[in-house]
Amino acid sequence: MMKLLDISKKYGEITHKYPFEPYKVSDNFRGKPAYIFDLCIGCAACGIACPSNAITVQFNDDKSKLIWEFDCGRCIFCGRCDEVCPTGAIKLSEEFELAVKFDKSALIQRGELDTQYCTTCHKPFSAKRLVKYSFECLSKANVSEKRLEEAKNYLCMCPTCKKTATVATFTGGKEMVIE
Amino acid sequence: MKTYEIPNEIELANTLEQKLELLKNIGRSFSVFRIDCGSCNGCEIEIFAAITPLWDPERFGFKLVANPRHADILLCTGPVTRQMYYPLLRAYEATPDPKIVVALGACGVTGGIFYDAYSVLSGIDKIIPVDAYIPGCPPHPASIIYGLTTALGVMEQKLQKVSFEHDGDMPPLVEDSVMGNTLFERDLLVQAKRLMSYVFGRKLFDKYIHALVQSGNTKDPKATKVSITQAMQVEDDPRYAECMGILHNEIYTQYVLCEEEDKIDLHRVVWGAK
Ligand code: SF4
Ligand code: SF4
Ligand code: SF4
Repeated sequence: MMKLLDISKKYGEITHKYPFEPYKVSDNFRGKPAYIFDLCIGCAACGIACPSNAITVQFNDDKSKLIWEFDCGRCIFCGRCDEVCPTGAIKLSEEFELAVKFDKSALIQRGELDTQYCTTCHKPFSAKRLVKYSFECLSKANVSEKRLEEAKNYLCMCPTCKKTATVATFTGGKEMVIE
Repeated sequence: MKTYEIPNEIELANTLEQKLELLKNIGRSFSVFRIDCGSCNGCEIEIFAAITPLWDPERFGFKLVANPRHADILLCTGPVTRQMYYPLLRAYEATPDPKIVVALGACGVTGGIFYDAYSVLSGIDKIIPVDAYIPGCPPHPASIIYGLTTALGVMEQKLQKVSFEHDGDMPPLVEDSVMGNTLFERDLLVQAKRLMSYVFGRKLFDKYIHALVQSGNTKDPKATKVSITQAMQVEDDPRYAECMGILHNEIYTQYVLCEEEDKIDLHRVVWGAK
């Protein structure tokens, strides 16, 4: 018993004061992914990388908006979204106080992005911001004016129309036999 | 799929008022019974970390008990495997009313990484009503303490649903390239992340770009070699130093015409020398 008292005297009080005082997590702690809506371009890279599908990027019912949605309850804090995001719109923060009472929907974060419609077939296929961002990247990537003009055209087309258009340019619109 | 109909008498004895009444006038410790509904044990380890003297939840009167009949709070972890379905229900029904159910971990809250597996029911709240959710995989002991104290009303809930509905103009996102070609930055960042993972990779990228700009003329292979070598020498962390050299040899040489001698000989540079 006396030995125990000696030991506790030696080490003093080690209990953290938390929650009555703030607690500082250690460096590189992986806390809640913080989402910055203004930076998100709706590229869905995070949705594909996320192993538990905590992030989903989907069109809404009438396809007028691209909905980015994050469910913190399903997140496993692996940091893969942070790793793949091209613009830094989602970064793991140091936030660890995540508990909620009664209503689970408090764990959800969402953002609605305007849809880009295909210039040829008028189907929705992407977010407006993604097209804008891609063009911005290309314009600073040392490509010629002519290519840039072409890119401007192609960026606003859905993958199917893009394919058709490319084939049409190659063949001049005529039916050809490829040998 | 509705799996379990809560018997009427349990439902009537578990209204919100009764639960709040219990929390307010308990006059003794809260007994916590922990149910492992098929968790990977990560959450268990963190629960036991949270009841060590380092965090000491007995300050608030939390006490683990070994029998659901003694419990006020059920702490459920895991995505509820089929095998644990009935044991969970038995524990739930055995707990005296009113009972407070806390779902712990990503698995307990929504099924987490296992949410679409064939053998699980994905989440405690699919089966029994849950009062508090503590996300995390596993939650940090501080998160567990926070979750339990929030459930008691000592702390305020911090998270709220956030929804951005107005798609405004986006700020210009692409910075000018130091080489006049953003593809250089793109390749550099990819390689930096490949070498050192995303957190340190970003730091490595910044360090490299900083050293490159220091050289005065980023397109002159002689000047950049000197400046990167210098940066490597004063770098404390040998990982950053070596990776800066690798980046220079592998990426920079693709964008600027370089001779073999313009590459950095990684074995010759002595780093860490202030
Ligand atoms: S941290 Fe991992 S689990 Fe969480 S949202 Fe990002 S990718 Fe998904
Ligand atoms: S910009 Fe980042 S956060 Fe937005 S969809 Fe792409 S990867 Fe996800
Ligand atoms: S939330 Fe994570 S740590 Fe906890 S049981 Fe599930 S997988 Fe394991």
